[in-house]
Amino acid sequence: MFQFDTLSIVFVFLILLGSVPNVFYSSGYLAHIERKLHYQVHYFSFIGSMIGVVLSGNALVFLIFWELMSLTSWQLILTEVKEKSTIEAARFYFIMTHFGFVFLLLLFLIVTDGDLGIGFASMKSIASSFAYPTLLFFFAILGFLSKAGAVPLHVWLPYAHPSAPSPVSALMSGVMLKVAIYGLFRLLFDVLYPWPLEWGIVILVIGALSSLIGVLYALSEHDIKALLANHSIENIGIILIGFGMGMIFDTLGLKVLSSFAFIATLFHTFNHMSFKSLLFMGAGSVLHQTHTKNIEKYGGLIKSMPVTALTFLLASISISALPPTNGFLSEWMIFQSMLGSSHIDNTSLKLAIPFAIFALAMTGGLAIACFVKAYGITFLGLHRSTNAKHAHEVNFMMKSGMVLMALVVISLMLFTPFYISWFDKVLVGLGMDSIYAQIFPHGMWNLHSVGMHGGVVSPIILLVSLVGLSAFMMFGYKVLKVKERVHNTWGCGYKTSAKTQYTATGFAGPIRRFFNWLYKPDEHFIKQTIAGHESKFSSSNYEVHVKPLFERSLYESVAKIANIISYWVYRFAHFEQTRYAAMIFNLMILVLFSYRVFAHEFSWATFVLEGVVMIISIKVLIIGDKK
Amino acid sequence: MILYFITIISLVLLAPILLSFIKALKMVLLFKKPISLLQGYRNFSKLMQKETIISSETSSITRYAPFLVLSPLLVTMFFLPPVLKGAYYVSFVDAFTITGLISLSTFFLMLLGLDSASAFGGMGSSREAFISALVEPAMVLTVFSVSMMAGDMGVGQAGVNLAHNFPTKHMSSFLFAAISFFILLIAENGRIPVDNPETHLELTMVHEAMILDLSGVYLAIIEMASSIKFVIFSSLFVSLFIPFGLEYSPLVAILIFIAKLFGVAIAVAIVEVNMAKLRLFKIPNLLGISIVFAFLSLITFYVLGY
Repeated sequence: MFQFDTLSIVFVFLILLGSVPNVFYSSGYLAHIERKLHYQVHYFSFIGSMIGVVLSGNALVFLIFWELMSLTSWQLILTEVKEKSTIEAARFYFIMTHFGFVFLLLLFLIVTDGDLGIGFASMKSIASSFAYPTLLFFFAILGFLSKAGAVPLHVWLPYAHPSAPSPVSALMSGVMLKVAIYGLFRLLFDVLYPWPLEWGIVILVIGALSSLIGVLYALSEHDIKALLANHSIENIGIILIGFGMGMIFDTLGLKVLSSFAFIATLFHTFNHMSFKSLLFMGAGSVLHQTHTKNIEKYGGLIKSMPVTALTFLLASISISALPPTNGFLSEWMIFQSMLGSSHIDNTSLKLAIPFAIFALAMTGGLAIACFVKAYGITFLGLHRSTNAKHAHEVNFMMKSGMVLMALVVISLMLFTPFYISWFDKVLVGLGMDSIYAQIFPHGMWNLHSVGMHGGVVSPIILLVSLVGLSAFMMFGYKVLKVKERVHNTWGCGYKTSAKTQYTATGFAGPIRRFFNWLYKPDEHFIKQTIAGHESKFSSSNYEVHVKPLFERSLYESVAKIANIISYWVYRFAHFEQTRYAAMIFNLMILVLFSYRVFAHEFSWATFVLEGVVMIISIKVLIIGDKK
Repeated sequence: MILYFITIISLVLLAPILLSFIKALKMVLLFKKPISLLQGYRNFSKLMQKETIISSETSSITRYAPFLVLSPLLVTMFFLPPVLKGAYYVSFVDAFTITGLISLSTFFLMLLGLDSASAFGGMGSSREAFISALVEPAMVLTVFSVSMMAGDMGVGQAGVNLAHNFPTKHMSSFLFAAISFFILLIAENGRIPVDNPETHLELTMVHEAMILDLSGVYLAIIEMASSIKFVIFSSLFVSLFIPFGLEYSPLVAILIFIAKLFGVAIAVAIVEVNMAKLRLFKIPNLLGISIVFAFLSLITFYVLGY
């Protein structure tokens, strides 16, 4: 019923690392919540069900806990219903998660041959005798990636995560998405192994698309939690790039590189858990104090909320993949595994990998821009609203939650070899090669890439040299006893005020303009001009909203088609009785005519004649006059 | 080991001279009376003696960020390819780490711009974010392409390998990478046509806008950082794309290296004199060229094989 192999244990460890600081944070946040019992019951059963999913040993238990995880998180989104959009977001999440669940159920019904009680190991033989393994793969992708939030099934994330209470957003984004990654690992390794080459390429393409699309939409967001949710899409994309590379290498027989890519994937999974939880907690604290999610209403919070600001800065640096943080290390490993593509013999595949490298590098650059925006507009400058002015540091429990999570981030940075040795054990448990000795050949100082002439990075040396140099220079500054004077910022002769600052919309302006073809933004510009002068105005208001392309094209067109179908069903269901009689008459004619055409004899003349008769009788008798 | 430190210190000392040299050369080409090559040092010492004015709107970020802008660049100096044979060098640090360190410095510079609550700072940060987001993929692809040709991911070792054993077979991809990297050198250091380092007109400012509210020691630190950044890029260009002269005796090798750095400076100055600054929204076209050349370089390398 339950199994405790290394993969499960490592993921239990991930869930605990993600949820223990969160419990502290949540208990500080609790005063803010009205339905305390409802919240607590669902909160703890949510954590429990996630642990249940990763420990489950057979399909039935897995599906029960998976569904419990979905339902409890759905109820948690509905904890504080103050706006109508929350209910809509919860409904959207409910539909999307059950859309995925249907495919998981189908998948497990096929691979268990109807007996849901058997373990994962015995599913393998049934799956390998199944005639269409690619169908199973697509079921798995649809099932797990709709939960993980990969393109094109990512649309629910920017709605569901902001609507939930902040500790829950941190758990959902930081931990629950990783449970989906666990599912992918478990199923692809234990049940659907070996993989054709195409599967890895599919995952790689999904990953590259998710990472770019996630970060681009994050840049155009004004809602801080929606911004972070879009970054979850990006990071899931990066995780999937690593996963896809691992699968491709494994299929091509490059076992060492494959293990390296999978270790990088697991490492990034852990890192994303740590910094994304921390970011959501920080955003939650800001939201708790300012009562708004709009990033344009913040500003200057570093002065009143130093702990939040400092931990948020750490997480921002880490998620932007800047050295020497843990986010950098895992992205570095994924980069290195992609550079191992020079070992591939297949030239067309080899030529395709640089595009994935490009996507990952571009994502890194845009993520930096996005987090400068998120951090700079939220915490720096002057207060942009009265709410921000009255903000002060959050209570002790929330602070300790954030500090504990920051410690998790730092531990991932400092104890990289320890974590990697565990990831190595996971892969050995899944039947891959052990490559710990190749990653750390000379002790724990240098992290080696396993490719031919691979690169090396030494996280601790980088950290120590950066901190040491900066501290040395700061000490020098103190010693010099430089004379200091405090004065206002120069504002061209005007007074510097909150309105002279750059806004988040303005900050992302150049990038938004460059990607106009993708965003197709909805702009509103209202200007009160003075006496008809073009350039003189008393007030002006500029707003821009970006609706994601996928939502517009994929989801709304599906909704449109469903609308048209339901309209006709409705019309057919609400005819008078004479019309029904006419329909029956027409159907009978149709049957008779088609019998004659298909079974008896065929001639074009009678076919056309009968067709005309049919059309006329349908038009006259059923559709009637257009009103 | 001693040679290693001597070269790093001499490069750091050379940094302000190189920037003054570009400026002086431009003035000569425009028939003006050139500034002295030591102008950089004069500015530095003047700024060090001045009092520091800290804006009352700023937070602790302004107090710490200048050091964090400079220190990643100083760390990067230690990872560059060696100037002469026999000098110790950190062979293993790869392009992604170096790009990351430079981005870390830019990250804090952008925060610095947003901290002073002035519209200029935000404007500069916003533009810098835009440009550096596009520079990053080109930079990674280019340097990796070169590292592959050199047969080692570590930039230091790649420089040595290229000097000893130049891959004439891959001359085409080498040239593509060189073109791409030169565009990046211009873009990352804020030279014309991407940014004008001498302007104080808000329509064209990028780098200057971010540091408008700094003064005294902090400004000196940022100026030093930007000159060191130029040295990093130009010495990467020199050791990866003009790889010769390592095997001579130390003094000659250093002189050759410095001469090559001045060569890069001359090229930058000539480009600056002959071009107008591009509009901000035309810059992606230039960087797009750089990305395309980086791709071409990698693809020709893959097609030709080892």
